Amino acid sequence: MTYRVKTGVIGAAILPCVTGIKQSLEEVLYDVTQRALRDAGITIEDIDGIVVGGNDQYDGRAISIMAASGSVGGVDRDILSTPSSGEHAFVMGALRVASGHFRTQLIVAWSPTESSSISEVQRLAADPYYHRRLPLDEMGAHAMQANVLLAGEPGLMALARQVAAKNRANGAASYPEIAASGPGVARYPLEPEMAMAPITGAVALVLASEDFVTEHARPVAWISGMGWATEPSFLGDRDLATVPALEAACAQAYGEAGITDPLDAFDVAELADATPFQELLAYEGLGLAPRADWAARVADGTFSPTGRLPVNLSGGAQSLNPVYCTGLIRIAEIALQVLGRAGRHQRADVRTGLAHAASGDAMQYNTVVVLRRGEQGAMS
Amino acid sequence: MELLKRQETWNITYTHALGETASWFYVQLRDNAKLYGKRDAKSGRVLVPPRAFSDQTLEPTTDWVEVGPGGRIETFTMVYEAFNGLPPPPYAFGYVKLDQADTAIGGFFRGVDLTDPAAAAEKLKIGTRVVTRFAEKRTGDVLDFWFELETA
Amino acid sequence: MSRVSAPRVGIIGIGQSPFVSRRDDASYPDLVREAVTLALHDAKLEMDGIEAVVYSLSPDAMVGIGNAERLGIDAVGARNKRFLRINTGGATGISSVAAAYYHIAAGACDVVLTAGADKVGECGDSQTVLNKIWDPTYERQLPLGTITMLAMSGIRYAHKYGMTQEDMARVVVKNRWHASKNPNAHLRRETTVEEVMGSRMISWPIKLFDCCPQSSGGGAMVLASERYIKERNLDAVWITGVGHCSETYYLGDRMGTGFTADHADAYALRNAFNRSYAMAGITDPATQIDVAEIYAPFSNTEFHSIEAAGLAPLGGSPAMLKEGQFHIGGRVPVNPSGGTLCTNAIAVTAMVRVAEVALQVWGRAGGHQVAGAKRGVASGNGGDHQFFGTMVVES
Repeated sequence: MTYRVKTGVIGAAILPCVTGIKQSLEEVLYDVTQRALRDAGITIEDIDGIVVGGNDQYDGRAISIMAASGSVGGVDRDILSTPSSGEHAFVMGALRVASGHFRTQLIVAWSPTESSSISEVQRLAADPYYHRRLPLDEMGAHAMQANVLLAGEPGLMALARQVAAKNRANGAASYPEIAASGPGVARYPLEPEMAMAPITGAVALVLASEDFVTEHARPVAWISGMGWATEPSFLGDRDLATVPALEAACAQAYGEAGITDPLDAFDVAELADATPFQELLAYEGLGLAPRADWAARVADGTFSPTGRLPVNLSGGAQSLNPVYCTGLIRIAEIALQVLGRAGRHQRADVRTGLAHAASGDAMQYNTVVVLRRGEQGAMS
Repeated sequence: MELLKRQETWNITYTHALGETASWFYVQLRDNAKLYGKRDAKSGRVLVPPRAFSDQTLEPTTDWVEVGPGGRIETFTMVYEAFNGLPPPPYAFGYVKLDQADTAIGGFFRGVDLTDPAAAAEKLKIGTRVVTRFAEKRTGDVLDFWFELETA
Repeated sequence: MSRVSAPRVGIIGIGQSPFVSRRDDASYPDLVREAVTLALHDAKLEMDGIEAVVYSLSPDAMVGIGNAERLGIDAVGARNKRFLRINTGGATGISSVAAAYYHIAAGACDVVLTAGADKVGECGDSQTVLNKIWDPTYERQLPLGTITMLAMSGIRYAHKYGMTQEDMARVVVKNRWHASKNPNAHLRRETTVEEVMGSRMISWPIKLFDCCPQSSGGGAMVLASERYIKERNLDAVWITGVGHCSETYYLGDRMGTGFTADHADAYALRNAFNRSYAMAGITDPATQIDVAEIYAPFSNTEFHSIEAAGLAPLGGSPAMLKEGQFHIGGRVPVNPSGGTLCTNAIAVTAMVRVAEVALQVWGRAGGHQVAGAKRGVASGNGGDHQFFGTMVVES
């Protein structure tokens, strides 16, 4: 499929850890929006439309886009919301620019911690027909997925520890003031170092069309390929040791971007890592390392910060876990890497980056984005 | 065939940070029984209730302006139906543009006989002058105040 | 917004439930599946012909399941497919169709399904849920709900233009008459001005009969690219205009002094319509539109919405309604399906507006067909009268 209009990211801002109560949620969104606009070198007047991703139950508002809208410039503008995930807001925004009907889109996602319990909030997602009586939250689902993997390969625990350690060390280096250093959330079989407690965060990106980029002479990270797909509704219907939806999303994205050798094609990657088991599954689903090679790749440091393809230089969700927006943050991190504005954890000479976002129970939604500096992909 | 049902209740508690602007507003209300708006520098409008930024201009708001206690009814309604979790009817509430403010703030109208809706609607019609009344014991909440018709 | 002459996007299949209060025979995903089956059948497609799904669902609290779209994944056959959910409150349905439109207009897909359902009747109390849409900072403790909020809009409209409760009743009478011809509508019993005036007062000036029902049911549509449609020689109608716009969340900012939008009117809806019109090349809506399905859950709101659509001057629609201009058989029938006033399954209500307009210009509206309709408009409202989506559909 060829996209009508070439689309790219021209700015991003990440607030992966908002602490204290100085700001209301709306004020945090205002802040992250202003930062993203500044990073993009434009003003709100240049924004044609907005797509936001927020979860009503996390927010404590029955229609989360309502109060958020004003903060992100929604008044007098075309604004949509994709509550399924923050990264879906990116997908929707990219489609809108690619359609030719919009020259720019502002994308914003956020994840507050004002509810008495994120776990309890997440449990409301269990259907009332069969599963609501079970303590089924997302961490529980991730843990079950880990369990299924371990049942197949007990040695995986050691690998998972190493992946977690890698990410924690990356986070400490990239976001020293805020990255988690204490123990996380233990949920059998996950060890405390393998998953972080939820924190408040927000993220925003600016997308622009080729015309806009040219007219405004902005540096850009082109969307060279984009894919998204979902697993089925019930955990019990899935083989949790595999992620077919990730493979489907990956095929879409790589097909558009012309990627045939992913280890070779990418300079840097940010992958879903609510747990290190997810990152391992992502290695396989994205064609970076089939499971038979996981041990070897972890041992030889291919995905370490100095390796051939550094994964999660930001530290990932294992360092900073604003649950609902961790997916969009992966995309924003890669956009900033490609734009050369990733700051402390910028990798040198990044031309092509890979972002993978997963949301929901045990990687239910998977979104894959290939971002590239200066080359033509299928989105042209 | 037998059709079954299941009852579920949502019960989550939220602790929402009000931020500096709303916090200051409520502290003034609680401690001094005064209401304030904040000015949007670009349009000049004094926004009540106050916010840190204007959603119209996306500019930060600037100075605080004391508003009220007098004001003008901008709209109202009178509720005669009971809804779960909402007050027992009848009650009247709506929006009042306080003196010195440019936008209207929501609140209850008290002291109006609601038994005859048409008569009550005439008393509460748009443009009617009202005065803000404050509760003896205030907690820093929008229910610390309400509006009553200005007596002649 | 750039206006790009692009290949067109068509509607090739429509499905909607016969809407009723409660569907004790069907779970929420069952209702979605029901509508999807109807739409696929209408499009003569199997599930695997669908490349992407846009899921239409407004507040989770209304169905009582957090992120309920996840439960609907199987119902829409989205396993391993592109899938995302849209929520713009009451406008969700039309925003979902717009989202599906952009999938195709972008060149990402050729065939997209949008679907959803609601079980408002099962919710216990929709006004209780809808009270929670207001900001906890300043307004949550006030007994705001959609009824009271729109009653307050009616008060301002009446003050500005002189609308009476009898005018409002006439909207109900028209729409119920229309709904009596529509087998999918929820409230189909005709009524009279006297009966409406005699119904109990809910929130002045809105009475029971001035209110939409709490409906349960599903809606689904299949959209396709022009290329796909032409290659297979399919029957279709075309989406030629799409536009969204939104207002300030703060009701009180739409009053007082120096406001851009008056809560009496539907300012952002007007802007949304203007965007659709610009895209569709409509310069004089009053003469260039044959039929309108305009989102109005309470009788009084139909007036400012008709005016926002450019079908009447500001304040002019009550008189025009009285003359019969908006009835089937009149100049521009508004809500020939009975509209939101007669059927409101919130998550899909605004989609049904598009579906009904599509059926009209397709000549498939059966008993409530507007003769000769070739071009129609649809709208959806969401939030506290905050988010508006509009669409132009033509044969």
